This record gives sequence, C-alpha cells and structure tokens, in this order.
Amino acid sequence: MSAVVLGVGDFGANNKPGGIVKTYALGSCVAVILLDPRTRTVGMVHVALPESRINPAKVAERPGYFADTGIPALLKEMAKLGCDPRGRGMVVKLAGGAKIMDPNDTFNIGKRNELAIKKVLWAHGMGAVAEDLGGNFSRTVAVSVDTGEITLSSPGRSNWTI
Amino acid sequence: MNKHIDRDSILKAIRQVPLLSPSASRLLELSANPDHDLGEIVAIVKCDAALTAHVLRVVNSAAFGLLSRVDSIDRAVAYLGERLIVGIALGDNAGELFNKPLGGYDGARGDLWRHDLLTAMAARYVSSKAKVELNPGLAFTGGILHDIGKGILSDYLHNSAPQLLENLQRQAIANYLEGEKNILGIDHAEAGFEVAKTWKLPDALQMIIRYHHAPQDAPEEFRPIIYAVHIGDIVAMMGGYGTGSDTLQYKLDGNYTQYFDLSSDALAMVLLETEEEFRRVEASLTDGKEN
Repeated sequence: MSAVVLGVGDFGANNKPGGIVKTYALGSCVAVILLDPRTRTVGMVHVALPESRINPAKVAERPGYFADTGIPALLKEMAKLGCDPRGRGMVVKLAGGAKIMDPNDTFNIGKRNELAIKKVLWAHGMGAVAEDLGGNFSRTVAVSVDTGEITLSSPGRSNWTI
Repeated sequence: MNKHIDRDSILKAIRQVPLLSPSASRLLELSANPDHDLGEIVAIVKCDAALTAHVLRVVNSAAFGLLSRVDSIDRAVAYLGERLIVGIALGDNAGELFNKPLGGYDGARGDLWRHDLLTAMAARYVSSKAKVELNPGLAFTGGILHDIGKGILSDYLHNSAPQLLENLQRQAIANYLEGEKNILGIDHAEAGFEVAKTWKLPDALQMIIRYHHAPQDAPEEFRPIIYAVHIGDIVAMMGGYGTGSDTLQYKLDGNYTQYFDLSSDALAMVLLETEEEFRRVEASLTDGKEN
C-alpha cells in the first residue's frame, strides 16, 4: 500500500489505488484535504499557522507551514499529478483546529488557522463541503485514495469519518 | 475500585522509583541555579563514564552534521549545550519512566518523552518573554520533568480514558487531573511531586511539577517560572505533542499575562521555533541511539 505520511508543515498527494494520505496528531493545526474525483488524487497540507508574514524565511523551506502559502503549494503539487492547477472540480474537507480557551484569545491559533484557510480557499473559488474542526482534542487523519473517505482518530475515542 | 488502596500503592510505587545517579542529580541542581558555568557541567560529565560515552555518541551523530569528530567532552558540551546534556543524563537514568508506553492514557511509547522535550523547549523560549528575569535552564528542566507523575499513574489508570473523556464532555469534571484523582485518589501533578521529593530535587523543580496545571496556587516566588512551564505544556499539546487521551483536557490559566507579554504573533513564533528545534534535537537523539 502506498502511504504518504505528512508531518507538521508538510504537504503531499497520492493517486495510487489502495493508497492513503495520513497525518498524525493535529492539535491547533488544520489539515486541508483536497480530493480530485477526475484524477482520483488525494492531496493534503498540514497547516500550523495562519500567516507566513511572521517568518517569510521559513516559506522557502516549508511553505506548507502557513495557510497562505500551504494551499497554493499543495495545488502546485497536485497539478504535477494531472489535477487542475486552480483546483477546479476538487472537493475540499478540513479537520483539526482544536480550541484552547484563553480569555485573552492569544492562544486560539486553531480558530485563526481555520479562518485563514477559509479565506485562502475563498480566494481560489473553493469551499469546504465537510469539516471536523474545533473541540479540545487532537486528531489523526487518514484519507483513502480509493474512496476519498476520511477517518479520524483520537486517543481514548472511537474512530469516526467525515 | 477503592481509591485509598490505589493511592497507597501508588505512593509505595513512587518510593520504589530508582534514584537518580549522582551526576544526574547534580546536573539538575546546577540547572536550577542561575549562577553556574559550563565548566561545572563538563566536570560532572567527565566523572561519569557512561554519560561521557552517550554524550559523545550524540554529538557525533549524523543529525549534528559536524565536519570533524568531536572527542573531547569540553567541545561536546559546548556544541550540545547544557540543556541537552541534562536531557541525556535524565534519559539514561529515568529512561524507563520517560519512555514507557502510557497505556492508562491510551498513549504510545515515546509520547511522554516527546511531550516533555517540546514542553521544555517552549518553556525556555517563553521564559525570555517574561516581564521578570527567569532562568531559561530551569524552565527547560522543569519542562522535562513536569509530567513525570504520568509515568507512575499510567499503570493504574487501565482503560479509564473513554469514561474520563465522557465525564469531561458532560462537564462532570473540570479537567483530566480531577478525573485521575476521582479514580485513584491522587493526580499526576501530586504523584510527580512525590517523585520529586523522593529524588530530593531543588524546590523550584518540585513546585513546577506540583503546580504546572495550577500556577496561581503556587507560592508567589515560584509563580513566574511555573507559568512558563504551564504555557510550554499547552504549546506542546497545541502542536500535537500530547501524551494521549488527556491531551488538551486542561485549562489555560489566563493570568499568565501578569508575568508574560505574549502577542498572537509572539505565540506563533514560539510554536514555530520550538517545533523547529524539536525536529533537530529529536533527530540527533534517535541517531545517537542507533549508532
């Protein structure tokens, strides 16, 4: 089985029958999952922070770290596998973005990630059809290339799908 | 389940935790003291043959990518830095406690160690943002040790995770600590504090372990450093480095603003920098083990 496993700030795609794309333990990070039905390709980027402006130097090394650079990087990667470079026809799903209650709001990076991602998707004319965001738990996400089904897991909980 | 019996057997288990080696104890003591120099660290490492061997293995591992071999402890300590030396010494000594799979928390082997290391790095980084002067070495060591109690409690928590999470969901309990205490009569902060007393750790480290989820309850003199570790702990969990079912099941104490200037951007930088440092160090420690 072909497995593409992504760390924090990584992006990647898989179109091999029987394959999966997986990322472990999203806390406040958000996985943006792009499914292309035409080419049967699954792409994912593990976004850690909303905006690349806080450290532009990091972008060259790891564009997937930030929402504003991660989604374009993923689209480019998927285009190499024959997908539309502007993401036309793709199905978007989101998972992660756990919430930290902070009266000062500084720690709610999960929510800021979500908003930044939705803004970038909007600019590309894309929108999520399913999402599993927020809450106060971490998520491991695995996407099947064959079915596009997304399985989520978290310690101490039963698996669920979106 | 009789929680008094559990509490007693847990306290008994804590008294049987292997003691730290003299060099590890001494390194922890030094790191808690702001007035020390690298020479003192070097002197301790040199007197411990096993530690010397391990330190040299790590510094010469591929992850550090040094051009020439390092054979002297003075240079190795200078390259690795005091914090990593403390980490190596603790791993050698209390490795069993740090490295066991946290079955009671539905966590895997290595989760606790990774969480501790990331907490330590974040706590050190955050300590530089404090309004008062903090000892970054102490913040780091406190981060490494803060969850030591989980290594003990995990064995007693058997399959409790789903029930505890459900109680949290229903808001029948406020956080995971309360759940631990309901089941066992003791929570991981108190259990860790008992270990710290057994190990005769410096007061500041004892207080960090005991109050890392409730910094406002700590004696005032220790509060700022405890908040640094409290924040580091939350940052590690946000970054996806938790210890299993209890990940993110604790409240952030918003009063950290009394002691820290942390904007959203500054916090984003804490996440970014610590994650980067973590990747580097984790690679070097794994390399060192395989060599």
